[in-house]
Amino acid sequence: MTRKKLSRTDIAGLQADLDAVRDSVMSTLGDKDVAHIRKMIRRARGSAIAGRTMLGLGFDPVTFVVGVAALAHAKIVENMEVGHNVMHGQYDWTNDPSLNSLRYEWDNVCDAGMWRHFHNYEHHTYTNILGKDRDFGYTILRLSDEQKWHPFFLLQPVWNAILALAFEWGVGGHDVQAERFLKGEMSFRQLAERSKPFHRKIRKQLVKDYVLFPLLTFWNAPRVLLGNLLANLIRNLWSYAIIFCGHFPDGTQVFSEEETRDETRGDWYYRQICGSANIEGGRAFHILTGHLSHQIEHHLFPDMPAHRYAEIAPQVQAICAKYGIRYNTANFWRQYGTVLGKVFRHALPSRRANAALAQA
Amino acid sequence: MSTPFAAIRQHALRTLQSPWLHPLNDTDALNELLGSLNPRWSLTEVRAELSGRRAETPDTVSLEFRPNRLWNGFAAGQHVTITVDIDGVRHQRVYSLSSDPAQAERLTLTVKRQPGDRQRTSVSNWLHDGLRLGDVVTLSAAAGDFVLPGAARPALLLSAGSGITPMRALLHALRQRAAAGTFTDDVVLIHVCRDRADQIFADELAALVREWPALRLVAWHTASRGRPTVAKLLEAVPDYAARDTWLCGPATFMADVEAHWQAAGLAARLRLERFGLAPRVVEGAASAEIRCERSERLFTAGAGEALLPAAERAGLKPAYGCRIGICRTCLCRKRSGTVENLVTGEQSSEPDEWIRLCVSTPRSDLQLDL
Ligand SMILES: Cc1cc2nc3c(=O)[nH]c(=O)nc-3n(C[C@H](O)[C@H](O)[C@H](O)COP(=O)(O)OP(=O)(O)OC[C@H]3O[C@@H](n4cnc5c(N)ncnc54)[C@H](O)[C@@H]3O)c2cc1C
Repeated sequence: MTRKKLSRTDIAGLQADLDAVRDSVMSTLGDKDVAHIRKMIRRARGSAIAGRTMLGLGFDPVTFVVGVAALAHAKIVENMEVGHNVMHGQYDWTNDPSLNSLRYEWDNVCDAGMWRHFHNYEHHTYTNILGKDRDFGYTILRLSDEQKWHPFFLLQPVWNAILALAFEWGVGGHDVQAERFLKGEMSFRQLAERSKPFHRKIRKQLVKDYVLFPLLTFWNAPRVLLGNLLANLIRNLWSYAIIFCGHFPDGTQVFSEEETRDETRGDWYYRQICGSANIEGGRAFHILTGHLSHQIEHHLFPDMPAHRYAEIAPQVQAICAKYGIRYNTANFWRQYGTVLGKVFRHALPSRRANAALAQA
Repeated sequence: MSTPFAAIRQHALRTLQSPWLHPLNDTDALNELLGSLNPRWSLTEVRAELSGRRAETPDTVSLEFRPNRLWNGFAAGQHVTITVDIDGVRHQRVYSLSSDPAQAERLTLTVKRQPGDRQRTSVSNWLHDGLRLGDVVTLSAAAGDFVLPGAARPALLLSAGSGITPMRALLHALRQRAAAGTFTDDVVLIHVCRDRADQIFADELAALVREWPALRLVAWHTASRGRPTVAKLLEAVPDYAARDTWLCGPATFMADVEAHWQAAGLAARLRLERFGLAPRVVEGAASAEIRCERSERLFTAGAGEALLPAAERAGLKPAYGCRIGICRTCLCRKRSGTVENLVTGEQSSEPDEWIRLCVSTPRSDLQLDL
C-alpha cells in the first residue's frame, strides 16, 4: 500500500486550512446546535416509549414488528447520534450536565467510562496505527496485508458475523483487553479487576431489557423479552456495518508506529483522512449513522457537533483535492462490499506489501 | 409531618431512585416531558416564570418571577442561583432576593447592568435585554446567612450601588416585625450611589419612610459629594456601635467598612453579603505554572491570584457562577499541587481533590483536570 508523501510545506498548509474550517464552525456554536441534540434526545425517547408500549401492551404481530422497529430506532439514535457524540465532548461547551461527556451513560452494554478510554483516547489518537489502535480489526480480524497472519484468521468470516451480531458486547468488552490475558501478559486477577465496570453495566442492561420491562407487563413477558432482544440485535448489526464502513473499506490505510513518531497536528490530520472513509446518503441516513457516515470529518474534528459535518464536508473535500489526498467516499453497498472482501481475502496468508509496516 | 410517615416517604423516594428502575425513573427525561407540557413543571427543580419587570434606574431592572411549588420561600437577606441558557450555553449566577419574603407566590431579583461592551456573555445584561415576559428560568433554593437574628436590636443597613437589593427584603421583614410588635427599635439605612437617578428603590423607600417613622434613610450621592470616608458616612449615625449592622456593596467599599468595624472591636456585630471576592493579601505567595490536562494548556497564575481569572486570561473558559466560592459551578479536579482557599486561608495538597477555581490560589505548581 503506497500513499503520497506530502512535503512539510503541504502538511503545514493542510493544518492551517483544516484549522480554519474548524474555527469557522466552533466560533458559531449556539442555540441551533443545542436545539438539534435536544430534538434527537426527544426523538430517541419518544421512539423508545412508543416501541416499549407497543411491545408491552400489544397482542398482534403488527404492533410487535412496529414495536421492535421503534425500539431499535430509539437505540440507534440514542447510541449513535446522541450518546457517541455527547460522549465525545461535542456538547461540553453548553455547560449542561445532561449533555456532559463525563456524565453521559448510553443504552448499551459498553460502560461509558471504559469507552471514553479506548475510543476517545486510544482509537482517536492512534487511528489506524498497527499495534496501537486496538480498534483496527478489534484484535480478532485481519484486515490488511500488514497484519501478521495466524491460523486463527482462517475462520474470520465467522468471527466477523459473530462480531456483527454481538457488536455491543464486542465494544463493551474491548477495553477489558482479554487478548492480553490469553497471551499471558495479564493475570486473572487483573482481568477480573479490569472487567468490573463492564460487568456492572451488563447487569444494568440485562435487568432493564430482560427483567424490568418484561415484568412490567408480565402477561406479555416472552413477547417483550423477544422484542427487546431483536431491537438490540438490529442496533448491533447497524452500528457494526456503519463503523466498519468508516475504517476498513478499500483505500483506507494503516500506519506504523515508526512513521508517526514526531507527528505535528498537520500529520495527524493527514493520517485521520487516510484512515477513514465516508458513506454517501441523505440527511435522514446521516442522522441514523450518528453522522459517522462523515467519518473523515469526525476523525478530523471529533469534538465538533456532528450535525455540522455535512456542512463542512465540501470544504474538507476541496482541501483534500488541493493537496492531492484521496477523499474516500462512496455509497454504503460499495464501502461495505469492499470490507467484506477484505474479511475473506485476508483470512488467507498474504505477502506483506510494505516491509516497514509489517508487524513483528 | 409525623416521623414514621417521613421515614416511609424517605424510603420510598430512595427506592424510586434505584438505578435498577432506570429508565423509568430518569428524572432528566421526566422533567423534560413535564416541561414540554408546562414549562414551569418539574419534579426536582424550581422553575420560575418571568411575570413582571420594572425599571428601577436607567441601568437596573427588577424582575418578578412566579415560581412553581418546589420553591420553599426565603429569609430576608438571602440570595438565589439562577440558571439560564443563552445561545445554547448554560450559565449560573447569584442574585439577592429583593422582594418581601412574606409574599410566597412571587419573588423579585433586582439586576444591575454590567458596564462596557464586552466580548463574553453578561448574564446580567441578558436578563435586561434577552429575557421576555413568560420565559421560564431555573432557580436554586434560597441560601445565605445574611439574615435577621431571632431577637432584633436597633439596626443599621449599609449599602452601596446594587448592594441595596438584599436591604429591601430586610426592610420588608423588619417592617412586618414592627407591625407585629416584635421589633420596637429603629432602623437606619445608609446608601451610597452616584445620584438620585441612580438610586435604586428611591421612590418606594421614600414612601416607606413616610409611613414608618422608625425608619431613617440617608442617601449619599457621590456625584455631588464625592466618595465618602467611612467616618464621614457614620456621622449620620453616631450610635452605630450599639446597632446590628448589615453591609453589602462593592468589594472596596465593604473592605473599608469592615476595617473600621474591626478597629472598633465590633466585627461580631457586622454581617456581610459579598457580591465579589474580598481583596486579600496572600502572605509569601509566588506566581505558579498551571498545567491543564484536558485542554493540554499551560498558564501562569500571579501571586495570590485566583485560578479562575488566571485561566480566563489564558483564553480558557471554565464554567463559573458566583465567583466567590458559594455556588460550586467552577468545581475542578486538582490532580496535584497545593492550593490556598482565598476565603478561609486553608491550604490543601491532596491529590485528585475537587477545588473551586474562583477561590483557590496556587501555592505550588499545579496540575488540573481542565
Ligand atoms: C451573593 C451574591 C448576590 C448578588 N446579588 C446581586 C444583585 O442582587 N444584583 C446584581 O445586579 N448583582 C448581584 N450579584 C452580582 C452578580 O452575581 C454578578 O454581577 C454576576 O457575576 C454578573 O454576571 P455577568 O454574567 O453579568 O457578568 P460576568 O461576565 O460574570 O462578570 C462579572 C465579573 O466577573 C469578572 N470576569 C468575568 N469574566 C472574566 C474574564 N474572562 N476575565 C476577567 N474577569 C472576568 C469581571 O470582573 C466582572 O466584573 C450578586 C453576587 C453574589 C455573589
